[in-house]
Amino acid sequence: MRDDASSSAAAIWAILRKECRSEWRTRYGISAALLFSVTTLTSVSFAVGRLGDRGDILAALLWIVLLFASLAALSHSFVREVEGHTLTLLRMVASPTSIALGKLLFNLLFLGVLELVTVPLFLVLMGAPPPHWGAFLALLGLGSAALAASSTLVGALIAQTRSRGSLFAAVSLPLLLPVLAAAVAGTRAQWSDGSIAAPARMLAAYALAVLAMSLLLYDHLWEE
Amino acid sequence: MSAGHAPLAAVERSARGVSIEAKGLAHRYGTRLALEPQTFELSGGIAAVTGPNGSGKSTLLRILAGLLRPSEGQVRMVVDGRERGAAQRRTVVGLATPELSFYEEMSAFENLEFAAEARGLEAPAAAAREALERIGLAGRAMDRMSALSSGMRQRVRLAFASLGAPPILLLDEPGSHLDDEGRATLERWIALVAPSTLVVLATNDEREWRLAGRRIQLRGRDLGHPA
Repeated sequence: MRDDASSSAAAIWAILRKECRSEWRTRYGISAALLFSVTTLTSVSFAVGRLGDRGDILAALLWIVLLFASLAALSHSFVREVEGHTLTLLRMVASPTSIALGKLLFNLLFLGVLELVTVPLFLVLMGAPPPHWGAFLALLGLGSAALAASSTLVGALIAQTRSRGSLFAAVSLPLLLPVLAAAVAGTRAQWSDGSIAAPARMLAAYALAVLAMSLLLYDHLWEE
Repeated sequence: MSAGHAPLAAVERSARGVSIEAKGLAHRYGTRLALEPQTFELSGGIAAVTGPNGSGKSTLLRILAGLLRPSEGQVRMVVDGRERGAAQRRTVVGLATPELSFYEEMSAFENLEFAAEARGLEAPAAAAREALERIGLAGRAMDRMSALSSGMRQRVRLAFASLGAPPILLLDEPGSHLDDEGRATLERWIALVAPSTLVVLATNDEREWRLAGRRIQLRGRDLGHPA
């Protein structure tokens, strides 16, 4: 056995790889998320055509699509362990913190893949003006970090409750409102040549605060 | 597959200072008493926990493994002179229990390799291969879990428990679903590791509890009634 720090790193890495392998084999989350984003963007494109320089609507639409496309899959990473009865296996091989951090990294990766498909499609179908790439990508990264940190924590907390499906949405959506508001404000600002400093700071602070709170809570999860 | 074909780190090591001390250990699920107060001390060899259905055998093993916090009493687990709290017990305990499930979309080997890697074992692939050979499942190692029979799944649980040759083995109904050859392999394996490992079997099968030098009988007579 390795020492505690390298053992935790090994556990986080192992869990991340296991999540990727499971997702690749089942395509449980990514198929639904991509289907949602492609269908929504195509429908909106047919309904309202190209939105051109309507930065306010473009920003809101982008983040609403990303949020709702990813929400079901992000919540499912812990629920799948409970419903597949694999939580005992996980608890016997890694600490709750390592489990949650492995899943958080996977959720970040998941959002990255979703954005890789959704964002170019969005820019083309909506006829959005070219973004300021530095600011745009920074906002996408920070928004994804805040979204992943928050949904991983809520997923872990509600995984063993009875009505976890409805609870996840009921708990997550109010918690994610500040993320959505800041990400939309920042994305709109970068299209109108405004400053993204305040929304970016807000997203970074939110992600860090949730991560810090998570690290304090994770070791007390699943205590029966 | 004979257990002797897969040499274990456990037998190569000298006996480790292993002990489990339980004082007034009891558990309730809500108001229902699931485990009557138990006091015992184990320090090596094979012990069997027996008792009628619902008497708390599985609950006791979950408490010892650190998965369940007891409602009353305490457990003191010492390995190599160091006391292991509930959070650290997974590093010294190998657990096989009927409620242990694996990832259906992954093979038996991939499940065990993942477990070995997450536990921080130095050579996860070798550890997984050795564990599967030890329990006679090397030939089906690459089959997905969804393609394995219940007896083969039980063998994967036993292989999981043996990963890294932990100093304490907690085996809940270890022979369930196993055929005669599987039972023989199980018995050889337990006999092989017993000199250097504390083995706790939760069972009502006479063939299994007869292997034990010590028996903890749970009566369960007061169970099932609200307190």
